[in-house]
Amino acid sequence: MTATSAQTITAPARARTAADSATIRRPQGFQHGGWFVAPFLLLFALFVIWPLLRGVWLSFTDANISGEGARFIGLDNYREALKDPLMWDSLGHSAFFTLMVVPCITVLAFLLAMLAHHIERGKWLWRLCFFAPFLLPSTVAANLWQWLFNPGTGMINYVFGIETPWLTDKSYAMLAIVIQTLWWTVGFSFLLYLAALQGIPGHLYEAAKLDGANAWHRMVHITLPMLRNITGLVVALQILASLQVFDQAVVMMDFLPGPEGSTRTFVQFTLEEGFTSYRVGYASAISVIFFVIIAAVALARMWLLRNREESAR
Amino acid sequence: MGRPDLNRRQLLGGLGGLFVASSFGFAALGTGADALATGADTRVRYWNLFSGGDGSNMIAMLDAFRKAHPDIAVKDSTLQWGSPFYTKLAMAAAGNRAPDLGVMHLGRVTGFSPGRFLDPWDVDLLAEYGVREADFNPALWKRAVIDGKLYALPLDIHVQLCFYRKDVLKKAGLLGDDGRMVPVTSPDEWFDVLKQAKRATKKGLQTIGLWVNDQNFQWWFFVAFYTQLGGTWFNAANTEVTFDTGKATQVLEFLRRHITDGYADPGFAGAAGAEQFLNGSPFVWEGNWSVPVFSGAKLDYGATPLPPVFGKPATHAESHAFVLPHQSDRGGPADEAAHRLAAYVVRHARQWAAGGHIPAYTPTLSTAAYKALNPQSEYVSAMDHQATEPKVWFAGSTGILAQRVGPIVVASTLGSAKPETAARRMKSTLTQLLAMKNPMDGRTAAQGGAAA
Repeated sequence: MTATSAQTITAPARARTAADSATIRRPQGFQHGGWFVAPFLLLFALFVIWPLLRGVWLSFTDANISGEGARFIGLDNYREALKDPLMWDSLGHSAFFTLMVVPCITVLAFLLAMLAHHIERGKWLWRLCFFAPFLLPSTVAANLWQWLFNPGTGMINYVFGIETPWLTDKSYAMLAIVIQTLWWTVGFSFLLYLAALQGIPGHLYEAAKLDGANAWHRMVHITLPMLRNITGLVVALQILASLQVFDQAVVMMDFLPGPEGSTRTFVQFTLEEGFTSYRVGYASAISVIFFVIIAAVALARMWLLRNREESAR
Repeated sequence: MGRPDLNRRQLLGGLGGLFVASSFGFAALGTGADALATGADTRVRYWNLFSGGDGSNMIAMLDAFRKAHPDIAVKDSTLQWGSPFYTKLAMAAAGNRAPDLGVMHLGRVTGFSPGRFLDPWDVDLLAEYGVREADFNPALWKRAVIDGKLYALPLDIHVQLCFYRKDVLKKAGLLGDDGRMVPVTSPDEWFDVLKQAKRATKKGLQTIGLWVNDQNFQWWFFVAFYTQLGGTWFNAANTEVTFDTGKATQVLEFLRRHITDGYADPGFAGAAGAEQFLNGSPFVWEGNWSVPVFSGAKLDYGATPLPPVFGKPATHAESHAFVLPHQSDRGGPADEAAHRLAAYVVRHARQWAAGGHIPAYTPTLSTAAYKALNPQSEYVSAMDHQATEPKVWFAGSTGILAQRVGPIVVASTLGSAKPETAARRMKSTLTQLLAMKNPMDGRTAAQGGAAA
């Protein structure tokens, strides 16, 4: 990490090859920058790297929560996990949530940003309205929607004149969490889009106008292409965040896995195995599986992006 | 090569070290501060999971104890109810930082590694403080004994009840001369009662709330009715599943019928059932902890154990019990004070009954003060008809058993699985659980046979 930052700073100044600068500049780079990042590195190693390695080790044992008497059992945990219907169910729930949230939030954030960008009066009010929910702690946002979804006294059913058992029926429960999540987190992506919209140079639109492009053409041929990078970022961040869905789901379901287990997410399943069933070894194996899945998603995205950039050249 | 900043660094480092050292010092002081403040010689650290009305009743009882025993300082901590509590207690015991006294659900004790995470009670010491085996329901006491040692001292039992509104039942002609609900002895009679009650119910309200979507409540109701039918779970050695799918199907069909016949509305599942009851719905099945809620609302209501529709009366019961979390050096004044405190609270549980719980210390139940409590005195018989989960390591309040089997009951009640199918799934889940090893000691329920 320190080596790369030293490289990028020094590379333009001296006409050296990358290999040169890597071998010669590194020791000096650490002397100057290394001590500044040392506290971070220490904490990072202590609270991220070490638990990660320890988790991988535990996944090969039958450790329980007491930390005593753990035995090495090889791949047994992994074998069991791959056959565990509960694991596949909860993985499915997290994946379903992700598939629902990511497209919706991307489109919604874009539309809201367009709205806030083009509206002339009271701009600050719109921005505040769209972004404010994101500032709420997850428990507050989840509790709020628990009330809104209440079948007898909640506002949602009252306003629409329906009698939907949002939180108590397995066909609606996950949908309710998706709706809550959209409201709660769209502000973040909205802000990214808004910043990107403001960064598009105005002369592009003027030139297009002179050439006779109407509003639709300007959006399709200028706005959307200029937002491509930010869309990639929004989608990537949302996928990673959505796969890890946990807190709003458990709070809205009163810390249970929802009607007939329909909102048990992967993180919740891991927590249950580790801290209700006290099977720390098994829970570690599940976490490692989850880690691999998330890493695979992140790598796939990087690979796609690189391919696209190369084809664009 | 001069390093002008060396001294400053040393100074900063020294200051930092001093800060860290002093904060440890204050932390060490803090552990003794409570005992110092009260001038007491002995300090009992006590963890419980009681909040709300139970919490304030418990605090009132602790305050009474403090007044009676000024030489003992009670440092009580209330923690979040449910799985997190057990996790904290287990980790504290494993790390040898356990409190002197704790509270657990009795059903959880078997799976909580008695002997490793829990220390046994000194029965003679308890007797000295006035608590003897003879003062308890024998079945309840037996559940607290593992390997011949007492690992839990029951404080109460808490049961599932059928709450009814007297105003609505009177209108429907379902109230007896004694002002109590007419007795019910079969499913058909029960549904007749619901039918008549429905006619007297205001529009927009369901007839009965029974937590149709909740895996804990549905499981508790199942345990109650399955026990009424005389159903069993495992053989005595815990080597075979004796679960009767025929009886289970009967119970599941019975639960399901509340929805199909239009008495329970899935839209008002969960806590909405109690809200509906407050608004005029005639029935709700709830834990006895709802007594203070309904009494606080000044409702004219009664509460009986779940109706004995399958003949033998039985309603689901769990129990709050005092435990001694494992300390490697247990003994001495703090341990004696923990015995004294637990015995005191168990014997003075009249206050506890205000929370709807049935005191485990039976002499309390025959006092005039307890008999004057309504509706508590109406369901006190539940003490003799307890339906409990099997005594295995994976059972207990919100434990693995409820977590795995509860959702199957819910699926059947809500109609997404046929009762026969659900009964078979329950049996196969029970089979899996029986073969599963307790992560704490690597033994299955059968291998831990002595514990059961």
